[in-house]
Amino acid sequence: MSIDWRLYRCESTYDELFAAAGRPRPAAQRLVDYLGSLPAPELAERRLAAELAIKAMGITFTVYSEGRNVDRAWPFDLIPRTIARREWQRTEAGLKQRAAALNHFIQDVYGEARIVRDKVFPAELLKESANFRAQCRGMKPKNGVWAHICGSDLVRDADGTLYVLEDNLRVPSGVSYMVENRMVTKRVFPELFETTTILPVDDYPAQLSDMLSAMSPRKADAPTVVLLTPGIYNSAYFEHCWLAQQMGIELVEGTDLFVGEDDCCYMRTVYGPQRVDVIYRRIDDLFLDPEAFRPDSVLGVRGLMRAWLKGKVALVNAPGAGVADDKVVYTYVPAMIEYYLGEDPILPNVPSWLCLDEKQRSHVLANMDKLVVKPANESGGYGMLVGPASTKAQRDKFKELIRDNPRNYMAQPTLALSTAPTLTDDAIEPRHLDLRPFILSRGDSAYVTTGGLTRVAMVKGSLVVNSSQGGGSKDTWVVEEPEAG
Amino acid sequence: MLSRVADNLYWFGRYLQRAENTARLVNVHAHLLLDIPRKLELGWAPLVHILGAGQDFESRHGECGETNVVRFLLLDPDNPASIASSLHRAREILRTVRDCAPREAWEHLNDLHMFVQERGEKALPRAKRLEFLNSVIDHALLIYGLLASNMSRDVGFQFLRLGTNLEQADMTTRIMDVRSSSLIQPQAAEDLSPFQNIQWMSVLRSLEAYQMYRRHVRTRVTGASVLRFLLQNREFPRSVMFCLTTAGSTLPRLPANRAVERALERTRGVVQDADMEKLVESGLHELLDEIQIGLGQVHEALTAAYFRTAA
Repeated sequence: MSIDWRLYRCESTYDELFAAAGRPRPAAQRLVDYLGSLPAPELAERRLAAELAIKAMGITFTVYSEGRNVDRAWPFDLIPRTIARREWQRTEAGLKQRAAALNHFIQDVYGEARIVRDKVFPAELLKESANFRAQCRGMKPKNGVWAHICGSDLVRDADGTLYVLEDNLRVPSGVSYMVENRMVTKRVFPELFETTTILPVDDYPAQLSDMLSAMSPRKADAPTVVLLTPGIYNSAYFEHCWLAQQMGIELVEGTDLFVGEDDCCYMRTVYGPQRVDVIYRRIDDLFLDPEAFRPDSVLGVRGLMRAWLKGKVALVNAPGAGVADDKVVYTYVPAMIEYYLGEDPILPNVPSWLCLDEKQRSHVLANMDKLVVKPANESGGYGMLVGPASTKAQRDKFKELIRDNPRNYMAQPTLALSTAPTLTDDAIEPRHLDLRPFILSRGDSAYVTTGGLTRVAMVKGSLVVNSSQGGGSKDTWVVEEPEAG
Repeated sequence: MLSRVADNLYWFGRYLQRAENTARLVNVHAHLLLDIPRKLELGWAPLVHILGAGQDFESRHGECGETNVVRFLLLDPDNPASIASSLHRAREILRTVRDCAPREAWEHLNDLHMFVQERGEKALPRAKRLEFLNSVIDHALLIYGLLASNMSRDVGFQFLRLGTNLEQADMTTRIMDVRSSSLIQPQAAEDLSPFQNIQWMSVLRSLEAYQMYRRHVRTRVTGASVLRFLLQNREFPRSVMFCLTTAGSTLPRLPANRAVERALERTRGVVQDADMEKLVESGLHELLDEIQIGLGQVHEALTAAYFRTAA
């Protein structure tokens, strides 16, 4: 008994591995053949090995449940998701283009706001943006880069079109799992790497490290770069440790840093204070500096904004970069690409309706049962309404929310997210998934991860891929397609 | 090296050492009880006192029966010296300094922590306990070995060594203190002396020192020579003098600090000047107290010098 791929039913939407039932896509051919050749007990054994590897490697994420923080083993599905290299090259170009336009936009809104003057972007959206930081006005960070690290979520619809669903510019996470997933696959399926050309993913920490060093305000040979974490109770703490370790930089908490009278930032070491040049911060803007933002923040560093505004320290991502990480601002990204770069967008946005606009709003209100309604500034899949799966009471509640604050809502059609074969308790079934690649921008060049983190909704039929809500993950392979013939 | 990280590495060293010593202590005590005549009524109470947890124990558990004490020492999450809580804290700390220690150490500590969580409850009865505790000891040594072979001898490692050695010195004095208090009783009659020797041997065994003692001393086990070996021997790694000397050898690698050097020198002096022949008669407890106070002062000095530095 082994996997019988003829039993795999994938007709309901686009499947990443199969073009049709029993007919794998070229990039997935070898993988599918190999899995099909494994006897069932062997597959079960590998699955167990993967679970043990994850436990032993201590790959965890933290969820807040039943009133306390629990460390859970990272949910991982054994069957990789494949992407043909040729498709990926185009996607990569599209992501770089997007990140460039977003950085232009952020620099513009904190400067002359030409895009508003030229009536491409409505002024009222800025006024009510929850992530616009007035303190950043007039600032120009090194090379004009604000969103150094961007995690853009990609989804594929039934017709095979790859859309950008959102751009995460504040503190996007997940990249460590991308690399760790590969480590697990290598441990469990070493044979596969001999027969298939799978592009490596582990270059990311080195690329990140180069980018961070390049942002140093001082012309020193080896700038001091640190990663600022909110601490062990943060859900992404595993990743903070992992990145610091991979880059060989200090993992610091707010209490480890202080800003001196010279407006420079220092860390407390056993040798006394040491000047810090670049802070890769994984703390939200509002907690960054009690002097500038929330006075009750104990996670941040007093005076940090002052140090940054005076150019004494680089903050990555820059404070205020989140202004472009807003589901309503998102709808203007194609326009930004045309406005700033004079190019056509390579990757399309998901068609969206803005509730701010009266006509579009009436469309949303009339079609709530078919649409996904999202608030502008939530993340992690919280606070949204999935129309087809909602009750009337939920829809009524959202109608009211939209009427009260139209600026804060947008809606999109419910996409039939693509699927890939996933191991369930007793079978292999299609499960919906998305993809989060990461883009590093340094102003003079940009880097995109090879593939990214594939997140998969483990529950049958579910479209929710967030790990905090029962989502899993897959290793993501960008595969050199075998020569035809 | 961040002050917070130095502090954490120091405590990580302490907790790992503490877990290992507690495991040895329970093992050896169980052995000892088998050899001691019932009328001595040694019982399990001394173990609770070794860890200075008498009051806390009594208020929560009452009688010092074997099951109560063993659970208290192995698994009690509210006893800061229990194996489970030492490992829990060591793990929490390693989580926060994971970027400084080799990855394998984290994996093994994770394993050990899970092992104690999953198997601890079943390991309370005597028949299962020995194997369980031996696994804990082996695992702790494995982690220490990994750190010793794979970690750069940077400043962080020096703090780890400081923690490990100060904790061992502390545990050594605690074990000596409680073990000897029950046998240096003046009422110990002549006919109990064979058992006294057994007890002195168990002091050595609690510290895995019997074999090395034998190689070193070669005469029959006497109180004074055991005390001398455990306090002043310069070659046995669990002797107080050895630990203090090793702790001292880390200081040239750290930013100079007179207060730390002085505290350490003073404590070494106390150990160095002790007169063993007299101590067998009286004053051992007072001396051990003085050493422990000295160790506390070294700890305070380290904290002030490196961990709680002002802006």
